[in-house]
Amino acid sequence: MTELGLRLAVSFTQIAAVTCIVIVTVLLLTLAERKVLGWMQDRMGPMEVGPYGILQPFADAIKLFFKEDIVPAGANKFLFTMAPILALIPALIGFAVIPWGPNQSLEIGSFTIKPFIISDINIGILYILAFASIGAYGIILGGWSSNSKYSLLGGLRSAAQVISYELNVGLSIVGVLIMAGSLSLVQITDAQSGWFWNWYVFAFPAPQIFALVVYVISAVAETNRVPFDLPEAESELVAGFFTEYSGLRFAFFYLAEYANMVLVSCVAAAMFLGGWNAPYPGTLIGYLGLPAFAWVENTMWFAVKTYSFLFLFFWLRATLPRLRYDQLMRFGWKVMLPIALANIVVTAIAVFFYQQMK
Amino acid sequence: MTPPATTRRTNLMEWFKTITFYEILVGMKSTLSHLLHYKPVTLQYPHEKRTLPDNYRGMLALLRYDDGTEKCVGCDLCEAACPSRVIRVVSAEVPGEPTKRYSKEYYMDMTRCLFCGMCVDACPVDALGMTREFEWAVYDKRQLHLNKEQLLAIGDRSYPVREKRLELQHPNTAFFNVAFKHIPQKPE
Repeated sequence: MTELGLRLAVSFTQIAAVTCIVIVTVLLLTLAERKVLGWMQDRMGPMEVGPYGILQPFADAIKLFFKEDIVPAGANKFLFTMAPILALIPALIGFAVIPWGPNQSLEIGSFTIKPFIISDINIGILYILAFASIGAYGIILGGWSSNSKYSLLGGLRSAAQVISYELNVGLSIVGVLIMAGSLSLVQITDAQSGWFWNWYVFAFPAPQIFALVVYVISAVAETNRVPFDLPEAESELVAGFFTEYSGLRFAFFYLAEYANMVLVSCVAAAMFLGGWNAPYPGTLIGYLGLPAFAWVENTMWFAVKTYSFLFLFFWLRATLPRLRYDQLMRFGWKVMLPIALANIVVTAIAVFFYQQMK
Repeated sequence: MTPPATTRRTNLMEWFKTITFYEILVGMKSTLSHLLHYKPVTLQYPHEKRTLPDNYRGMLALLRYDDGTEKCVGCDLCEAACPSRVIRVVSAEVPGEPTKRYSKEYYMDMTRCLFCGMCVDACPVDALGMTREFEWAVYDKRQLHLNKEQLLAIGDRSYPVREKRLELQHPNTAFFNVAFKHIPQKPE
């Protein structure tokens, strides 16, 4: 019994830590996005709250917390309440299988824990994809239950878009799965250790560079970000599926969007860019004679990779206008899907012959 | 018939640009260069204000002469000139001076004013002026219905240097500033 209790305590600690990190990252992102967008558009971004506006996320959070919670007349109250939760939980739950640092175990008494991953399940990436699909329900139900035409249109668009692009996300990572021979993110990351040409973007025999491009584009579409932000196109649909939401429920949707961004960036970093591996074998801290603190450098590398993906999101948002709906669908089905499929075929053949020759 | 070689090469270039997202990359380079050479064009408005141009047309005001008397002679020309019918003048004789008039009441409905400056142009005695005030946001629209005292107060705080009253204009001649040969001209 005590062992179970200890395990539970450790797990809850890990969950709390990861959730805190994600929430803090999201707070940071809301500010960083406005700042980066502002700088790219020759503005300053938020400057009022705190020095250079660095306390803006907290001001926003407090404001959202105290806003009136409005349920529109004729809304399906149960689903209206459920939708933000249904959007947020899958976004946060995916972080359970993300390896943040080296795959090392810690012996505590009679059992071992892995400090840098909440749960090393052997179908990690499948688990993330499955829950990402559930996240789409939050958006669709939120749009439907609001009893508003803008919300409904946003929800419908989201449904079509998420289905189209989730397919591409799933297919684009199949190449990596073929090369790694595993669905566990821990093993996929471990297989990319060593020099940076072992990362699956560059790896022999089948560099997954096209898969990475397809993945990033589809991930942008799946998280409903510019230029694929049709579900919340503010110039057409007010705010899309969360038009009728206010206060904390709106904050939940907002949080879910950014948590999804972080999640897809983490997955991209772990699958294509070697996760927590440095671009060189081992770690600098390890070479300096402090192998016990090597995890600091590994974690930093993971953060750098993730944040560069997140910066790419902002960068795209500052640059590109929104796609038209038929362009979005055509691009998804007639461009991204064939590339992803061709990538699978090429990767499979290359890996097969590579293994035959060995 | 095969297309000429140049066209084929152009098509190839177009195709290559399409598959490498060339146009998007150009756009992203542009945004990144703005980020790296960050020079904001905006001002932190309440804390720093831009310098207004010399001919800025701001809040309207009624002016006074240096002895504190109102310039306005109640001629109603500003009311006639105003395209938005902002101004309403109630003109009256100066008590005891039947040749001289003044504006007994003077109202401006600044909710409608479009700051064209035609009333200032129309005024024969330069009794109206446009100040450089522009921060006139109010919570109650009725605060923008200004009466004579308020307009004079705006003029007092915006025009500290007042025009000298012409001697011959006082006490009982109400000349406009039109040119008469036999009376002194206004100093330039």
